[in-house]
Amino acid sequence: MNFLASIEQSGFSTWIRESPSVWAYPTILFLHTVGLGFLVGASMAIDLRVLGFSPQLPLEPMKRFVPVMWFGFWINAASGVLLVMIDATKMLVNPLFYIKIGFIALALVSGRMIANREFGTPSTGKSSAVIPVKALAGASLFFWVAAVTAGRLTAYLFSHPS
Amino acid sequence: MKMLIQSFATWLKATPLSSFVVESSWVWPAAETLHFIGLAMLIGVIGLMDLRLLGMAKRLPFAPLHRLLPWGISGFVICLLTGTLFFSGDPFQYIHNWVFWGKMLSILFAGINVLLFYVTGVFKNVENLGPGDDAPFGAKVIAGVSLVLWIGVMYLGRMLPFLGDAF
Repeated sequence: MNFLASIEQSGFSTWIRESPSVWAYPTILFLHTVGLGFLVGASMAIDLRVLGFSPQLPLEPMKRFVPVMWFGFWINAASGVLLVMIDATKMLVNPLFYIKIGFIALALVSGRMIANREFGTPSTGKSSAVIPVKALAGASLFFWVAAVTAGRLTAYLFSHPS
Repeated sequence: MKMLIQSFATWLKATPLSSFVVESSWVWPAAETLHFIGLAMLIGVIGLMDLRLLGMAKRLPFAPLHRLLPWGISGFVICLLTGTLFFSGDPFQYIHNWVFWGKMLSILFAGINVLLFYVTGVFKNVENLGPGDDAPFGAKVIAGVSLVLWIGVMYLGRMLPFLGDAF
């Protein structure tokens, strides 16, 4: 049995996948949805403000919503690991899964660069100053939409085990 | 009522829109993707306004935050339109599913909650909330109810295939 199959067939994965309880697989999917709502939603709201919508809204206090993003992120990281484990032979060979992870990484990096600029945290590099902050916000919006799209499509494209 | 819903579903299933949704290989996945993006826009705007009223990010004045509302409404409309596509594609899997009706009822309650926010003067009260101002108790109740209902809507939507038998 190969490595991916052994993850998928482990007792833990099998228990999650085959448990008839709504507290197993369905609840993990639900958590992944709520996490998406708060992570992508809060990021989008900050991006829209940076892009110039509602200019009277002071940006700096919006940094209080960054923990809301991280709350969503960690819910999704944890639920995401479980969702991949129970479907390892399909997910880990699906290029869309890696595209999704790539877009999430890009979204987090652009979010971080926006935070460095707007929320007054110490800058981690000079490179962020070269890119206009509105371009970063536009990129962040695009990366999140792309990540959600790639994630959703993992269920439809390349989803048959080779 | 049951008869009416049944015949509406029968009529809907025979429309070209219905066959377009189920026969196309891309409409359903594309609509699902948009449904999730709409969800994020809705939670991103409505959820953050709710959190502000509940006391998070209190240094934000409420009125300019409220000006992001068109994005939240757009998210809702995206979900409504794509949801209509799912329903048109396969109405029978929804009308016999109590989870679907629970979700619709929760959305209705969320709508009534929004209505109460605007017509009972709560919005007038919070419109002028400045940096650091605490929202009145009534506004906090409405914000809390809003959060619970929208999370409930996501829960029931996700449970359509599990508690009920739709996808």
